Amino acid sequence: MSEQAYIDIDSVVAGYVPEVNILNELSMKIDKGELIGIVGPNGAGKSTMLKTFFGLIPVRSGSIKFMGDDITGLVAHSLVSRGIGFVPQTENVFPSLTIEENLEMGAFLDSGSFEERFDYVTEMFPKLGERKDQRAGSLSGGERQMLAMGRALMMKPQVLLLDEPSAGLSPALQDQVFVNTKKINATGVTIVMVEQNAHRCLQICDRGYVLDQGKNAYEGTGKDLLSDPKVIELYLGTLAQQVRS
Amino acid sequence: MPKLAKNCIAGLALILVLVLSFPIAVLAQSEQAITGTLRVEINEERTPVAGVDISVVQGGEEVGVETTAEDGTFAVTVPGDGAYSVTLNTDSLPEGVTLQADATETLEVRVESGNNKAVIYRLVSGDQGETSAFSDQAGKVARLVSNGVRFGLIMAMCSIGLSLIFGTTQLVNFAHGELVTFGAVMALVLDNGTIPFLVAAALALALAAGFGAANDLVIWRPLRKRGTGLISMMVISIGLSILIRFVILWQVGGDRQAYSKYRIQEGIEIGPLSLTPRDLIAMAISIVVLVAVAYMINKTKFGKAMRAVADNRDLAESSGINVQQVILYVWVLGGLLAGLGGILLGLDQQVRWNMGFDLLLLIFAAVTLGGLGTAYGALVGSLVVGIFIELSTLVVAPELKSVGALMILIIILLVRPQGILGRAERVG
Repeated sequence: MSEQAYIDIDSVVAGYVPEVNILNELSMKIDKGELIGIVGPNGAGKSTMLKTFFGLIPVRSGSIKFMGDDITGLVAHSLVSRGIGFVPQTENVFPSLTIEENLEMGAFLDSGSFEERFDYVTEMFPKLGERKDQRAGSLSGGERQMLAMGRALMMKPQVLLLDEPSAGLSPALQDQVFVNTKKINATGVTIVMVEQNAHRCLQICDRGYVLDQGKNAYEGTGKDLLSDPKVIELYLGTLAQQVRS
Repeated sequence: MPKLAKNCIAGLALILVLVLSFPIAVLAQSEQAITGTLRVEINEERTPVAGVDISVVQGGEEVGVETTAEDGTFAVTVPGDGAYSVTLNTDSLPEGVTLQADATETLEVRVESGNNKAVIYRLVSGDQGETSAFSDQAGKVARLVSNGVRFGLIMAMCSIGLSLIFGTTQLVNFAHGELVTFGAVMALVLDNGTIPFLVAAALALALAAGFGAANDLVIWRPLRKRGTGLISMMVISIGLSILIRFVILWQVGGDRQAYSKYRIQEGIEIGPLSLTPRDLIAMAISIVVLVAVAYMINKTKFGKAMRAVADNRDLAESSGINVQQVILYVWVLGGLLAGLGGILLGLDQQVRWNMGFDLLLLIFAAVTLGGLGTAYGALVGSLVVGIFIELSTLVVAPELKSVGALMILIIILLVRPQGILGRAERVG
């Protein structure tokens, strides 16, 4: 291969329970600086795909390459030091730690740069700086999401994996999350985002994948996917048409 | 064939009967006595106390009176097995020598199966032993509270490890009491006269820390890796507890044994309290260690990582924290603290093979009371339990004092299910 993809996921098979594969030969190629949205019906393996990428679920076959290096089967904390950050969907903060301590844990592997990164993150999310001594367990859902993203940004990641960042938030807060995601992407961070909220997600992402039964069913730019009738039928839904007829 | 087998069994049984009956027959003929040696520490030297009258009474009838010899020994011959009360005539004690403040002059003992029974009287020189001016109820309460604080501080060191291990791994470690015993016993084994006691204690602490690490590396880490359930792990820890306890029994025997140093000391009067230098130093060590641990948990990078792992293990891993390493350090810390607690307890109450196991239930009570998984909770819970069990002796018999601690545990948890310092979390 003459040109190597930034992230190359090649026919990966993975699953939680023995004998049951959630991902079936899933392949993706992602370029540096892209904002990728992954959508799909429930149980398609979207979150599993992120967790497998991040080393939380063992890969049964296939390979994952990052900047040409094989990272298949590496444990999470060694991926963090390679510049990959992950924001889980739920339980994504340390509730008994303060906001500042949460961010400190984000920079655990590189505590020397804590001050600098703390300023950077609190500039992006001023609310976190104002309330840095508050315990994360007392934050609301939106604030937690903000803190979770801030924590992942502390290590200055090159790739950020977001698992349903807008889940459980009001529409206005969802917009806020997507705007923040776009802002982070604009600083050169490659973002892979799994979303249930397909319309909003596909509007902002460069490219999208539609997953179905552990495989990628469709791939294209956000706009193309939104108007693709097959994607609409499989996933986006035909509520408007059904009501009309 | 069956007949041969039957004969064999009959033969074996006969041999067994002969072997077993022989020593008993011999012993039954020998004389039993209640023995002991009276000594008092004067200027750091243990001097025998001669000319003290010891009388033995059974069922209101005097069995015998003896006077201690030049070397402080005495032996009162008794007619057979049974319960006797042994009384030291305090009037016959030489000038300046008294019984220790909390010791009684009459001891109830049981002589069994033809063995001599040793009794121990703790004597002190000077006037420390005399009841002070504060002999009223208030003074008694003050003494009990100070005993409770002393015991509570020692217990706190043992509890924090258990609490941290539970916090980071969700394991309820029933073998934690054996970490306490291990430290105490190692100090006892190393304290054999060739090296100073403090060096032996330091070495024992290092071994205790290593033992904690070995626990994790050999047993718990592989089990976690295999995804063993928490209930199975708990049962394994019960088995491990029994195993270690009986290996210790086998190696050091079932007797209480004391360290070579700091056995008997003169008390220092502080208001209504009479505390020995040993007690004071033990309390000081406990407080310094506990403050250091609190600082470490709150302020250092490792402490924060430990709390992060306790909060959310997966997220800690995702943040770049090496979770397995943090858990290993928690075990090292737990082993070290339990070992130190064991040595201090051994100085206070002597070393015994099941000392840690006896403490285990109280440690559980303290940890649950304070709030599971929180280090401060373990500290507060230990002090509450320590003080409460001592104070409860004002109303209940001393043998029942642990029962009171478990009762207060139930009552507090009914009122405050998350424990004293546990925090109810916001949901969602």
